[in-house]
Amino acid sequence: MVRAILCMGACVASAVLVAGAMKADGISEKARKLHFSSIVVDTHDDTTQRFLDGKFDLGARSSAGSIDIPRMREGNLGAIFFSIWIPSKVTGPEAVDKALVQIDAVREQVRRHPNELFLATTAGEIREARKQGKIAALIGVEGGHMINSDLGVLRSFAGLGVRYMTLTHSGNDEWADSSTDKPAHNGLTDFGKSVVREMNRLGVMVDISHVSDKTFYDVLEISKAPLIASHSSCRAICDAPRNMTDQMMKDLAAKGGVIQVNYHVGFLSQEFRDAEKANPELNKAIAAEVMKRCGDNEGCQLIEGDRITREYVEQGKLPRVDFSKIIEHIDHAVKIAGVDHVGLGSDFDGANMPYGMEDATKLPVITEALLKKGYSEGDVKKILGENTLRVMTEVERVSRELNAHN
Amino acid sequence: MRRLPAFLCVCVCLCSGLFLAIGSSADDLAERARKLHFSSIVLDTHADTPQRMLTGKFDLGKRDTDGHVDIPRMREGGLNAQFFSIFISGKILGPAAIQQALDQIDIVRQNVRQHSKDLTLATTAEEIRQAHAEGKIAILMGIEGGHMIGNDIRMVRIYSALGVRYMTLAHFYNDEWADSSTDKPAHNGLTDFGKDVVREMNRQGMLVDISHVSDKTFYDALEVSKVPPIASHSSVRAISNHPRNMSDDMIKALAAKGGVIQINYERNYLSEEYRKAFAELAGDVSRMEEKFKKECGDDNECIGKAEIKLEKELTDAGKLPHVSWEKIIEHIDHVVKLVGPDHVGLGSDFDGADMPDGLEDCSKLPKITEALLRKGYSETDIRKILGGNILRVMEQSEKMSRELQAAQ
Repeated sequence: MVRAILCMGACVASAVLVAGAMKADGISEKARKLHFSSIVVDTHDDTTQRFLDGKFDLGARSSAGSIDIPRMREGNLGAIFFSIWIPSKVTGPEAVDKALVQIDAVREQVRRHPNELFLATTAGEIREARKQGKIAALIGVEGGHMINSDLGVLRSFAGLGVRYMTLTHSGNDEWADSSTDKPAHNGLTDFGKSVVREMNRLGVMVDISHVSDKTFYDVLEISKAPLIASHSSCRAICDAPRNMTDQMMKDLAAKGGVIQVNYHVGFLSQEFRDAEKANPELNKAIAAEVMKRCGDNEGCQLIEGDRITREYVEQGKLPRVDFSKIIEHIDHAVKIAGVDHVGLGSDFDGANMPYGMEDATKLPVITEALLKKGYSEGDVKKILGENTLRVMTEVERVSRELNAHN
Repeated sequence: MRRLPAFLCVCVCLCSGLFLAIGSSADDLAERARKLHFSSIVLDTHADTPQRMLTGKFDLGKRDTDGHVDIPRMREGGLNAQFFSIFISGKILGPAAIQQALDQIDIVRQNVRQHSKDLTLATTAEEIRQAHAEGKIAILMGIEGGHMIGNDIRMVRIYSALGVRYMTLAHFYNDEWADSSTDKPAHNGLTDFGKDVVREMNRQGMLVDISHVSDKTFYDALEVSKVPPIASHSSVRAISNHPRNMSDDMIKALAAKGGVIQINYERNYLSEEYRKAFAELAGDVSRMEEKFKKECGDDNECIGKAEIKLEKELTDAGKLPHVSWEKIIEHIDHVVKLVGPDHVGLGSDFDGADMPDGLEDCSKLPKITEALLRKGYSETDIRKILGGNILRVMEQSEKMSRELQAAQ
């Protein structure tokens, strides 16, 4: 009895201590310690679009958008995949050219901030960056149309440091169906399968965000390395075709893959999605306002789209979505697929962020919320980045093996 | 007493002279040349072999009767460092040019991967030395024509990151920012943008290649580049008065900045007699070339083969003179006499030009070493010509690249 009482006393005391250590931002000392000792990996950020106008300085704290070096530092974002993205309708050599320009833009940012950033291409290099106190910058290509149906271009991308490719974007490409287009290939074509095999050999992660369910299953069957969904959430919570069904998540996990939860309010919240659907005029009005503010500046469009959406929420025209929805998705995915198969794929600078997750500085709230939910420190670390690092390591191993057999 | 030593000396001299005469019998000198050649880094800065790779039928690993370069013949000729040329017609511009250049870079890299026991991709002088120490052939890449950057300076960085280590500023036609030696001047040399391209190349550690460019472009590039330029495949205008070759003044100016002219083995560039005869036939030849283009379409290898066949027929018919490989030695020697042994090297144009008699392919390269030795060149100087000079420029380029990047 005494012991039990003593234990209770100790528990209460430590609970009081933890509560006492809370700062104004609501992050406990324990969560802070855990968060800042972890490698936090985010597999999808559209910040690259902001680099293109030549005015944006990643090194200076910005009041717009979600990502810059000071804010990454503040939120301890340790590794970030910058997305190479052009619209699906741009194809052929022009698509290749535009993708190269964006790859160069990312590489140049790293070159301009050598004390802060480190161009990483392996899990080992991410850990090395961390050791040097630098943020690891990585590159992902968001849409298979950018290789112009040419495996040589894929190899060039890999040579330039690209470490994942999303097989499609919003439209089908020449060899894979998208989740948001009319099926044209019944999933992955034979050439699409050779793309996946070459990605396996090159050690480029296969990203099944954006692809149709049939494409996902085709890829799952053919890929020799685990897959990632670089920025997708749970369809059971929000029924968007961009999200994954429970069965897809289970199948992904069975092959060692990871779903990286997307923070976009339209993928997090069914209520938000329904409201958007119910009033298509709203989206048109937002699009028109974006065009007015930005013209064809893609970086500006993405940032302003988020800002205007937020204004509509403030005006009560769209429902407010809180960051806790991210936790709900993570928790659902953990329950369905297991704690080894969930990570973070924010879609920062490319989507509409929920309240409380406006930018990279807010990331510790995820750690705090997961701890509060009873997740172990080890499990939280996995979700923050270790799961993605494990997949990268496995993809590298498969690549070495395939190259040795060549 | 004093005479004795003198007498002895005479005897020693005579005797050793006698020994030397015996010692340097043809066989002995040949043996010395062999040893020298096969212990040297032999670096050729220009071969068009990627055009053959594009056909999908060519196997670099197999000895071929066609063409000039494959691994067995490189081994036989002691050719252990080779720049493969990324080349597309100067008429192709913009994103299409970029895409096609990428495809050729990829095909070179793929060939290296497929023959990883024999080949290794090198991007620095040190990597070339390392390959040599491992008994491997170092493969490097050069882009032949500034039009392949699609008028976009960022592509210099992309190509550099993919391993390209020189760029020829123009090919047969002017590009958007540099005049060619075989086109009507359009930019008065190098445009301001062209100067920025050269500066970015310096920063990236990509050698500035002034083969193919107009004389004015050459002088502009020489002025703006912080690294000595190279002529990756050009010969001497004083011997064959072709605009693709360099005048003595140009060679002197290049040498004064530390650069290197890499001698091209193309018959037109080697021999004035051949050049004149060819020029007289030019109407016929260009008509034939039009015909080849129709027959071959975009297949540059097919066009090249047809041209070689035509030139052989014309030579056999006595309409074109024979050109001996010894012309190469004449060009090398001219440059050495003009500016010393530190500014000349080898830029064959294998698989992209018509070779002279006696240097039909890369297996014949040891003849160059032997000829230079016979001419009285020192072993040190010969090693410089075979590869040392270009390695020196590469090292300078690497050092400048580091400095420029650190300064930013």
